[in-house]
Amino acid sequence: MIPVTYRASFSYLLRHPWQLVLSLLGIVIGVAVIVAVDLANSSARKAFLLSMDAITGEATHQVVGGPNGVSEDVYRSLRTEAGLTRIAPVIDGAATSDGLSLQLLGIDLFAEQSVRSFTGDAQDISSLFVSFLVEPGAVTASEQTAQELGLEIGDRFELFSSGRQHTATLVATFAADDSLDRVLVADVATAQEWLDLVGWLSRIDVRIEDGDTATLERFERALGPGTQLLSASGRTRSTAEMSQAFMTNLTAMSLLALLVGLFLIFNSVNFSVLQRRGLIGVLRALGLTRRQLLTMVLVEAAAVGLVAAIAGVLFGAVLGEQLLELVSRTINDLYFRVNVTEVSVSAFSVAKGIVAGVGAALLAAAVPAIEATSYEPRLALTRSVLERRTRHVLPIVTATGIAGMVAAIALILVSGTSLVAGLSAVFLLILGFALCVPLFVRAVSTLIAPLAGKLGGTSARMAVAGIASGLSRTGIAIVALAVALSATIGISVMVDSFRGSVNAWLQQTLQADIYTGTIREGSMEPELIAAIRAIDGVVDMSTRKRATVEDASGRTQLRVFELPPQSYDGAELIDAEPAPAWQAWESEDAVFVSEPYAYQHAVGAGDVITLPTDRGPRQFDVAATFQSYDINAKGIMMSRATYARHFDDDTIDSLGIYLAAGVDVDAVIREVERLSKDTQSLYINSNAGLRKESMRIFDRTFVITDVLYWLTLGVAFIGILSAMLALQLERARETATLRALGMTPGQVGGMITAQTGVIGLLSGIAAIPLGIVMAYVLIKVINRRAFGWQIDMTVAPDILAVSVIFAIGAAMLAGLYPAWRAGRSQPAIAMREE
Amino acid sequence: MRLTFTLFALLAVAVVYADKASEPPSQLAELLSADAEGYAKAIEPREFVFPDDHGPHPDFRNEWWYVTGNLDDKDGRRFGFELTIFRFALAPTKPESESLWRTNQVYIAHLAVTDADEERFFVAQRYARGALGLAGAQARPFRVWADDWFIAEEPGGAWRLVADDGDFAVDVTLRAQKPPVLNGADGLSQKSSQPGNASYYYSITRLQTEGRIRVYGREHEVSGMSWLDREWSTSALADDQVGWDWFALQLADGSDLMFYGLRLTDGTQDPHSGGTFIGADGAATHLDQEDVEVTVLDTWDSPEGGTYPSRWAVTVPRFGLDVTVTPVIANQELFTTVRYWEGAVDVEGSRHGERISGRGYVELTGYAQ
Repeated sequence: MIPVTYRASFSYLLRHPWQLVLSLLGIVIGVAVIVAVDLANSSARKAFLLSMDAITGEATHQVVGGPNGVSEDVYRSLRTEAGLTRIAPVIDGAATSDGLSLQLLGIDLFAEQSVRSFTGDAQDISSLFVSFLVEPGAVTASEQTAQELGLEIGDRFELFSSGRQHTATLVATFAADDSLDRVLVADVATAQEWLDLVGWLSRIDVRIEDGDTATLERFERALGPGTQLLSASGRTRSTAEMSQAFMTNLTAMSLLALLVGLFLIFNSVNFSVLQRRGLIGVLRALGLTRRQLLTMVLVEAAAVGLVAAIAGVLFGAVLGEQLLELVSRTINDLYFRVNVTEVSVSAFSVAKGIVAGVGAALLAAAVPAIEATSYEPRLALTRSVLERRTRHVLPIVTATGIAGMVAAIALILVSGTSLVAGLSAVFLLILGFALCVPLFVRAVSTLIAPLAGKLGGTSARMAVAGIASGLSRTGIAIVALAVALSATIGISVMVDSFRGSVNAWLQQTLQADIYTGTIREGSMEPELIAAIRAIDGVVDMSTRKRATVEDASGRTQLRVFELPPQSYDGAELIDAEPAPAWQAWESEDAVFVSEPYAYQHAVGAGDVITLPTDRGPRQFDVAATFQSYDINAKGIMMSRATYARHFDDDTIDSLGIYLAAGVDVDAVIREVERLSKDTQSLYINSNAGLRKESMRIFDRTFVITDVLYWLTLGVAFIGILSAMLALQLERARETATLRALGMTPGQVGGMITAQTGVIGLLSGIAAIPLGIVMAYVLIKVINRRAFGWQIDMTVAPDILAVSVIFAIGAAMLAGLYPAWRAGRSQPAIAMREE
Repeated sequence: MRLTFTLFALLAVAVVYADKASEPPSQLAELLSADAEGYAKAIEPREFVFPDDHGPHPDFRNEWWYVTGNLDDKDGRRFGFELTIFRFALAPTKPESESLWRTNQVYIAHLAVTDADEERFFVAQRYARGALGLAGAQARPFRVWADDWFIAEEPGGAWRLVADDGDFAVDVTLRAQKPPVLNGADGLSQKSSQPGNASYYYSITRLQTEGRIRVYGREHEVSGMSWLDREWSTSALADDQVGWDWFALQLADGSDLMFYGLRLTDGTQDPHSGGTFIGADGAATHLDQEDVEVTVLDTWDSPEGGTYPSRWAVTVPRFGLDVTVTPVIANQELFTTVRYWEGAVDVEGSRHGERISGRGYVELTGYAQ
C-alpha cells in the first residue's frame, strides 16, 4: 500500500515538473543564502582565530602596555631581574609590499622556543639565525606568502611601513598552513626600525602553566603600573567579539531569505495537495488512514526539501566564496585584520543548511498535510468548499498574526539590550504581519473589484475578484512578496537613514580644510609637522593621536585631540552644556565618551570611568557624551593635555589644517605633498575629499546587505511565479469556459496579467507599513543594540514608490508565462479534463 | 680549553629551533670555520690586564667564563656545580641600528649541579642576545650575565655567582685564593700548528666558595673551592681533532693541576695538548703534552648512547704526582641539545710518595653525538 502511494506522489511530482522546480528553487535559494552567510562568517572567524593561534603559539598570557605598547625595559627586567624566562617579545604592525597588505611580526629567536616556532620548518635554520640577527632587513615568511609576493629566498624587495620605504631580504621560508598567510617575520630590531617603534614592544607573550599561581604572582609583583598581564585567549576572544554584532546581523538577513523561501514551499506543497484532492479522496476510500496520508505528504515534502537542501548547500558554497570577500573586506575595514581567501566548508554549516532546508519544507508542508487529512473519503473537494474553509480560518489566522506582532513588541520591551532577542522580535513581527496579509487582501480586493469592473470591464472585475476568491493561494503569494518587499523597504530606509546621519555627522565633525596623517599606522615626523604649520595660509591646526589602551575588560580606543576652540562645534555633545564640558575636557581629568561607548557601558555626563594609563588605572570624569558613528564602538575623546599627564607619548598621527579665508586648498595640499615626499608618505585630503572617502567606505560596508536583499527578492519573485502558475493551471477549466464563451486568448492573457499586477500592487501596499515598522525596529532596536548608534529615521518616499513599482513589475513578469499558457489552451480539451 | 665547544654551543641554539630537524646543520660549522675573516685572532702573546681582561673581548669570535666547584654542606653532603657563560659573535662588527636589540653578540649559559648523595645531576641552559642588557659582560665592575644568571663583582672585590632554574639553584660568593694564572705561552694557548688557531687563556684555580645550593626545594648552606677558566679566540678544532679531555684538579697540599688532551681521529693525542701546574704559592709551570700521562681505567656507557672514560690514572713525573681520578657519580652528562660530560671528581694517590687527595672537575667532549 505504502509504495503505491509514494509512487503516486512521485509520479505526480514528475508530471508537474514546473511546480517541482519552483518549490525546489525556493528552498535552494533560501538554503544557499543561509549556508553562504554561515560559511563566509565562519571562514572569516576561523581564519582570524587560526592566525591568532599561530601567532600566539603556546602563549597563555600577554603583557600589554599603554598606547605605544610595552617598554622594552619591562622585558629586560622581567628576564634579568625577575627571572621570568618563559616570555617572548612581539612587535606587531602593518606593512605593504607591492600593494599587498602584510602583517609584520618582530620576534626574538632566542625567546621564541618557549612560546612558538615560526621557523620550525625552515630549511637552513643556522644561517637563518645568523642573518636574522645581524642582517638588517632580513625577513622570513611562509612559502605561500613568498609565492604570493613572487619572491625566492635571497630576493630583496621593497616594503612600506609607517609611511617610509624599507628594503627587505627574504632569508628563509617556512612551511605553514594559511594561518600565517601574508605575515612577515623579522627580528625585533628590524621590526622596531621599520615600524617606528624603537624602544617599544607591542606586547610580551607569556607562557604560564595552568594553575601556576606562583608565577602569576611573580608577574604581578614584577610588572609596573603601566603594564598588565592578560589572558591571551581572552584578548583573542574580545577581538573576535568586536565583529560579532555584524555577523549576527548577517545571519539574521540570511534567515530572512529562508523565511521568504518558507512561504514559497508552503505555497507549492499546499497547491500540490489541493490539486490532488481527487486522488486523496480515492486513496482515503481505498483505506489509506489519515496518519498514512499525513506521512505521505510530509515524506514528499521532506524528500523535496532534502534534494533542494543538498542543491542549496552546493550553491551556497559557491555563493559563500563571493560573500566571503565582501564579509572579510568589511571586517578589515571596520574591525580587525583578517586575511582569508578560501571558504572552509564545515560539516556543521552543511548540516545547518540541510536541517534548515528539510525543516523548512516540513514546516511549510505541515499545514497543507493536516488539511489533506481532513478530507472525507470519496468526496472530491470542490474549490468552493476549499475557499469556504479558507474563509473560515481567516479570522483565526489574522488573530494569531496580531498576537504575534504584540508578542514582538513585548519582546523588544523586555529584552533589554539583547541583539538576538531584538532580531527574534523582528522575525516575530514579520510572521505576525504576514498572517494578517490574507485578510487585508480579501478586504481590499473585494472592495476594489467593482471599481476595477467600472474601469476595465468584466475581465478586470473578474481578475480582481479572482484574487479574493482564490485566496488560499494568492494570499500566500502576496505574503511572500510582501515580506520580501517589506524587508527591502525596512533595510533600505535603515541604510538610507544611517547614511544621512553619517553624512550630517561628517559635515559637522570635519571642520578643518585639509586632513593629513600617516597611513594606517605610525606617527608623523615632528619636523614635518612643524614644516606644515609654517606653510603660508595655515592659520591653525588640530592634532590627533589614535591610541589604544587595554585592561582585562578589553580594549578602549582613545582619540587624543589638540583642538583650536573654533573646532569645538565639530563634536555634538548630547548630554551636557558645551561650554563647561569643553572647559573640563581641556583642563581637568575629564573625557568625552562616544555614544556607542556610553550605550555599551551605561555611562554618561557626570559619571566616572576608569582607564588604564602609563601610571596605572586612573579615574576620569565623563564631561559629556558625543555623537559618533565611529565603528570602533569604544571611542573616548581625550585632550592632549590630559593625555600628556597620564601617558608618556607625544606622537601625533594626523593633523587637521585650518586655512585663512581665500587660501587655495589645492595649493596647500600640493605644498604638503611636496614637503612630505622625501620624508614620509602621508594621506592628504581636503575636507570634501575625506567626506567622500568616508561615504565610499560606508557604502562599501553595505554592499553585502544589498546582495542579500536581491537574493531575498529573487526568492519572492519565484514565489509569485509559482503561485500564478499554480493558480492558472488549476483554473484551466474556468479559463477554458471563458474561452468557450468567446474570450480571445489575448483577453484571457490580459486578465491574468492584470490579476498578477494587482497582486503585485497589493503586495507592495501591504509591504509599506511592515517595511516602515521594520526600519524603525532595525534603527532603534537592532542597530542600537548591535553598535550603539543613534540614527535619525528618515523615510524617503522614492524607496516606497520603487518597492511598489518593483512589486507590480515582478508580479506581472511572473504572470506572463501563465497568461501565455492559459491563452494557448484548447477550451474543448481543458473542459473535458474534469 | 673548550674551543670547539663554542661551535657546539652555537649549534645548540640552532638545533633548539629546528624541532623537526634531526641533524644539526653542517653549514654552521662551515660558516664559522670558513669565515673567520674580520675577527681578531690570538697570534702573539699579549699583556693581560686585570680586571679589564675579566670583561669581554667582542672582537674575538668565541669567549667563555667557566666556573666549576666542589662544595659540602654542614652535614657533609657533597655537591658539585658548573656555571658556564659563553659569548660568541655572529659577525665581526655590530650592525648599525637605532634599535637596542641589534647586535652581533650572543650569549649561552649552562648550569649544572651534582648531588652526590642522591646521585642526581641537574642541568639547565639559557641563551640570549648580547643586547638590551638581556645578556652581556663588562669589566668594571666585573659582571657577566644571561637573563637572571650572573657572575658579578661585589663591593669588596668578591664575586657573586647566581643561577636559579626553579628546580635547582646556586647562589655562592667566590673569593680568589691565588692570582690569575696564564696558561700556555704567557697566556697564548696554541691549539694546532696553524697560526691563529690559538686562544688567550687564563685561570683562577682556587676560589674560596660560600653560599647556598637548592635542590628538591631545600636550601643547603655550602662551602668549598671553585675554579675559573677564561678563554677567548677565533679558532676551531682542526680537521683531525675529535674532542678533548680536560682536567682541573685541586690537591690537598695547595697545588693545582690543569691539563687538556686533544684527541685526534686516529686515536692518538695531539702534540699541542698541554697544561699548567700551579704550586701552593701560586707559581705556575707550563706543562707540555709529554709532561703528563693519562690512562683510562674505566668507562661509563651513557644510557643515551656513547661511551665515556670514567676513571683515570694521571701522572706528572716532573712534580712527583701519581693519582687516580674518579667521578663522584658516573652520570654527569649534560643533556643539553649538545651532549658532553662535565663532572665533579675525587682525586686519590701520592705526591713524591706521600699520600695525597684532592677534588676537581673533568670535561669530556666528542664522545657522543
